[in-house]
Amino acid sequence: MPRETLDRHIHRLQDEILLLGSMVEQAVMSAMDALKRRDIPFARRVYRDDININEKRFAIENAIIITMATQQPMAHDLRTLAAFLEISTELERMGDYAKGIAKVVIRLGDYDIPMPLRELDQMAEISMSMLHRALGAFMEENANVASQIPLEDDQVDELYDRVYRLIVSSMISNPEVIDHANLLLWVDHNLERLADRVTNICERTVFVATGELLEFETDDNEEEIDS
Amino acid sequence: MDIPNTQIRPGKLVSVVTSLQKKSADQPGEEETPLKISINNLSVFYGSFRALRDVNLMIPAHKITAIIGPSGCGKSTLLRSLNRMNDLTPNTRIEGELLIGDTNIYGPNVDVVDIRRRIGMVFQRPNPFPKSIYENVAYGPRLYGIFRRGELDAIVERSLQQSALWAEVKDKLNQSAFSLSGGQQQRLCIARAIAVEPEVILMDEPASALDPVATLKIEELMQELKKDYTITIVTHNMQQAARVSDFTAMMMVDESRAGSVIEYNETQIIFTLPKDKRTEDYVTGRFG
Repeated sequence: MPRETLDRHIHRLQDEILLLGSMVEQAVMSAMDALKRRDIPFARRVYRDDININEKRFAIENAIIITMATQQPMAHDLRTLAAFLEISTELERMGDYAKGIAKVVIRLGDYDIPMPLRELDQMAEISMSMLHRALGAFMEENANVASQIPLEDDQVDELYDRVYRLIVSSMISNPEVIDHANLLLWVDHNLERLADRVTNICERTVFVATGELLEFETDDNEEEIDS
Repeated sequence: MDIPNTQIRPGKLVSVVTSLQKKSADQPGEEETPLKISINNLSVFYGSFRALRDVNLMIPAHKITAIIGPSGCGKSTLLRSLNRMNDLTPNTRIEGELLIGDTNIYGPNVDVVDIRRRIGMVFQRPNPFPKSIYENVAYGPRLYGIFRRGELDAIVERSLQQSALWAEVKDKLNQSAFSLSGGQQQRLCIARAIAVEPEVILMDEPASALDPVATLKIEELMQELKKDYTITIVTHNMQQAARVSDFTAMMMVDESRAGSVIEYNETQIIFTLPKDKRTEDYVTGRFG
C-alpha cells in the first residue's frame, strides 16, 4: 500500500474523533445527571472537565494540519481531513452546551423550582443517540444513514417548544421564579442546539461520500445566545 | 480561485449548497472558452506497437492543461505528437486528427517547420545552445528571417521580460548561457521558445530538474505566460499539476499497453472529486 503513513494518520484521527465524541456524550449525560440530582459539586466537575474536550479538539486540529502539510492529501483523503476539522469543531461546541447546562445547575443552587425533567431528559437522549449514530455513519461514510438522522431533529424541536411553553407559563403564573426559570430556558436551548450540531456532522458525512455539501433543514436561528 | 455564491434551495429535508462537481460539461472544451487544440481519435504507433489509443482532447486557448498519469502511459508521446516531434522517431505512424486552430497538423502540404514555430517546446533539462544569452533568444527569429539588429534587440528584450529573466541578465547578455543557474537556463529556454511568437507552448516536465525555488518561479511564470499563450504541461508532480493547471487530463495504459485519456476535467475537480476510480487512486497516491 503506497500511502501507509497517510492511512495511519487518518485511522488515528478517526479514533481520536470517536474518542472526542464519547467525551461529549459523557459530558452531556453527566450535566443532565447533575441537573436531575441537583448535584452542585458534580456540576462543577462537569463544568471544569470541558477543558479536556477543548484540549482534545485542539490536539486533533493540530494533527489534521500536520497531516495535510506532510502528506498532501488529495480527493477523498482531502475531503475526509476537511470533514475531520469541521466535525471536531462541532463536537467541541457540543461540549460547550454540556458545560452550559452544568453552569445552570451551579447557578440554580438549591433554589426550589419545578422542572420539565422528563422532556429535557428525552431531548438529551435523542440528541445523544443521533450523535452516536451520526459518528458511526461518518466512519462508515454511509451517506444514506447520514441523511436520515437529521429527520429526528423534528422530535427534539417539538420537545424544545413544549418545554419552552411550560417554562414560560410557569413564569406567567409565578413571576418570582422568572430569573431561575430563565436559566432553565438555557438548558432547553442547549439541548435543542445539540441536535442541530449533529445535523452538521451528517452534512459532512455526505460531503465526504459524494463531494456534495448539503444543507439539512434545522431551526438554528439562535446562534447568538449559545451556551 | 473563485468561491461561488451559495444558494440554499428550499426543501423539506435537504438542499444542495454547493458541490465540488459543479460543472456539467463533460469536457472543458464544451464551455465558453475558445478551443486551441482539438485532438480527435488520435492513435500513435511505433512500428507495430500502439502507444496511444483513440485520444480525444479539447484544449482551450489561454489555459494551462496538465497531462498526468503513471510512467509509460503515453503522456510524452501525446505531447510530442502536438508539434510532430514524433516524426523524428523512425517508423512512427499516426491515425486520427490533430487540429491547432484550423490547421490539421498531420494534413498534406503542412510545413512542419512552421508547425514547430507555432508550437514551441520546453524540455525537462534546460538545454540552451552553447552560445551567449542574447544569441540563444535571437536564434529562432534569425531562422525565420529577422536580421535587423534593432528588431532583434527588441525581440530579445521582450522575450526575456516575458520569461521573467530580463532583470537578472540585462547587463550580461553576451555571456555564455551556461553561466546561468539551472532555473535561469530553463527560463532562458522559455524565452527562446516565445521569441518566435508561438501560439502554444508544450512543457515536458519543465521543472523536474530544478530546485524548489526555481520550480515555483517557473510555475508563477506559467501563470503570466498563459495570458499570451496556450500551455500544455506533462508532469509527474501531481502537486505541480494541481497548483498550475486549469484543466487536467489523466492518462492510463490499457491491457495492450496503449495509453489513453481516461478522465479530463477542471483541475479542481480532478483533485477533489475525480469520477474515475483509477484517477482517484492515482491522485491520492494509491495507484499500483
